[in-house]
Amino acid sequence: MTATIALWASIFLNGLAQVLLKKGVGHSSDQGGAHAGWWFSLLKNGWVWAWGLCFVAATALWLLALSRLDISYAFPLLSTSFILVALLSRLLLGEFISWKRWFAILVICFGVVLIAAK
Amino acid sequence: MNTRVAEAVTSAEAIHVNVKTRAFHTADFSVLGAVLLAALGHLMIKAGLNGSTSAAAAHGSIIDRLGAYFSQPYVLLGLTIYGLGTAMWIFAVSKRDISYVFPITALNYVLVTLGGKFLFAEVIPPKRWLGVAVVIVGVALMQSAGRKGSR
Repeated sequence: MTATIALWASIFLNGLAQVLLKKGVGHSSDQGGAHAGWWFSLLKNGWVWAWGLCFVAATALWLLALSRLDISYAFPLLSTSFILVALLSRLLLGEFISWKRWFAILVICFGVVLIAAK
Repeated sequence: MNTRVAEAVTSAEAIHVNVKTRAFHTADFSVLGAVLLAALGHLMIKAGLNGSTSAAAAHGSIIDRLGAYFSQPYVLLGLTIYGLGTAMWIFAVSKRDISYVFPITALNYVLVTLGGKFLFAEVIPPKRWLGVAVVIVGVALMQSAGRKGSR
């Protein structure tokens, strides 16, 4: 029971972490690389810190869950984070997800489930 | 005459837009680089853990075991490579929609499966190869769906 809660909490935090990171680093243009100042500015960015904390917590919860659950059970559920990130990016960042992109996400999820299959 | 000029301008703009949306940018290389480095990092860590067969690694307390793991050069190298991959990932995320770029990290499973097969001689069942193919198709579909949503 606790292992299952840890697993889902890990999956949720992992997805949330990605959206927090995106919120923090914004959407810059294709051209132009990242200079030293940009990397240092990340250290002062609260969203980036929130990403780091969520990432560490998600990893710890994942290890906790894996110590109790079979990896063949836990691993396919990881693919739900692709759907979660899409939903959160839409809700929190206002990203537009075309039906083609949704379809691609579902195909990738299906592939991950197959890879995890015994 | 004017319409011709206007046509030329719009077609030039169209080409420009095309170049903008289709060209392979540093952001795209960094997406692939981040995935590649993460997979390489995982495989190196695995190689290091396989190598740590000392008594401390096998039977010691958690502290002893962690000590044995972290004294493996391949584990440390793997963690460093993984860290570089994370930096590249941050860069990639700053350039692309997260709903586009995050599912592409599923390629990680493909690369780790290939690494398991060819570096560690793990047996990969056919179903898993099918999964590898499906993920690759999914990532290709993601590319054709466009890198940027309209915003």
